[in-house]
Amino acid sequence: MAHWYKFALYYLWIAPHVLLAVVAVFIYTRRLHKNFPIFFFYTLFETLEFLLLFSAYMAGHATGVWYRYVFIATLAGSTALRFGIIQEIFNNIFCDYPRLEKLAATSLRWITGFLVVAAIVSAFYSSGTAPDNLMLGVKVLERSVTIIQVGLMLFLFLFTRMFGLSWRSFVFGIGLGFAIFASTMLAAWTLQLTALNEHSKQLLDLLPTGSYHVSVVVWLGYLLAAEQPVGAATYPVPEMDRWSGELGRHLQ
Amino acid sequence: MNATLVFVLIAFVLLLCFAYLATRRTKDLPDVDRALMAIRALDIEAFRNLVDPEEEAFLRSRLPVAEFKRIKRERARAALSYVRALSSVSLQFARLGDAARRSPDPVIAASGKQIADSAIYLRLRALDAGAQLMLAAAFPSLDPLRLRSLLQQYDRASYLLLQHNLLTRNHSRAA
Repeated sequence: MAHWYKFALYYLWIAPHVLLAVVAVFIYTRRLHKNFPIFFFYTLFETLEFLLLFSAYMAGHATGVWYRYVFIATLAGSTALRFGIIQEIFNNIFCDYPRLEKLAATSLRWITGFLVVAAIVSAFYSSGTAPDNLMLGVKVLERSVTIIQVGLMLFLFLFTRMFGLSWRSFVFGIGLGFAIFASTMLAAWTLQLTALNEHSKQLLDLLPTGSYHVSVVVWLGYLLAAEQPVGAATYPVPEMDRWSGELGRHLQ
Repeated sequence: MNATLVFVLIAFVLLLCFAYLATRRTKDLPDVDRALMAIRALDIEAFRNLVDPEEEAFLRSRLPVAEFKRIKRERARAALSYVRALSSVSLQFARLGDAARRSPDPVIAASGKQIADSAIYLRLRALDAGAQLMLAAAFPSLDPLRLRSLLQQYDRASYLLLQHNLLTRNHSRAA
């Protein structure tokens, strides 16, 4: 293993989780965990998962059977929590617009149905290579789930844009972080299903952790940035007068 | 060209889409000039006439079937351009209302919420009207359009915005 690769591997494994712990601390100290309980739990879950897996790796158990089962179990937990976070983002955006919430919920159900079908079709027609059938199944399943998650995120972004709704800064940060991670993971899971040489596999191992690092930096950045009003809540008086004049003429 | 390449390309396009949406976020501010231009371009009275069911019934009774169908198609297409303009106005109203909703002043925030609500409903009505008009252009013999609620909603959203402007002006003067 080349020296730079070893450094990059450890850095991209450790750094995002350290930053994620910082995110968790900020969420707690700013009392955001009351509004985003699932995201807060996710940050704790991911940090603990890292501690467990990294300790096992350093202790030389990375090739053991139990390491693989713990990896799969925690991966399943993270995936489930990400669905919860998408629901949390949805609730946060539409809570003030009950009329639109109904339409959004119905559209979301249809989109989910369509994405599930797309994910099943993609899984059905996929062929891949993995050390064993279990890992192959996990990779195909994870890619299918990623298709659904990235599709839902895209829907949320486009639907709110269509109705001129803006996201609060931190909610946007959470959404953007997940969208970046899910898009990259779609490529990563797909490439992991192909037959690659050892060098390519090693490079590919950096992709998920690298994109996760970017996502965590996005979460931290949006968390630290003060909540800026997305648009001017009030306009200078002359602008408002122009509006009033124009609207008044139309209402006459 | 295999499935792997397709998935990787999709992932790359998605990343670009999200990057675009992130950069657009700060630029999607309520655009007063654009909204004013859209309002000026709207001739609501002409639109009312175009979608008036009584006028349509009158044309149906006076014109030969083929001529009526041709005219109804043209009227539906013209009305569609008005609906698109209305839809664009509603988006600007919604952005303005959504921005005002975050005002620290509870009165302005409440007014902003009302505008955003009304604008969203207007946009929904405009989307519905657009679909109806496309249907009418394709099948002119269908029943007359009922777009009264769209016009009522536009009047309501405009009225709320007018009230909001007055409120903001009073608050600015008081400050």
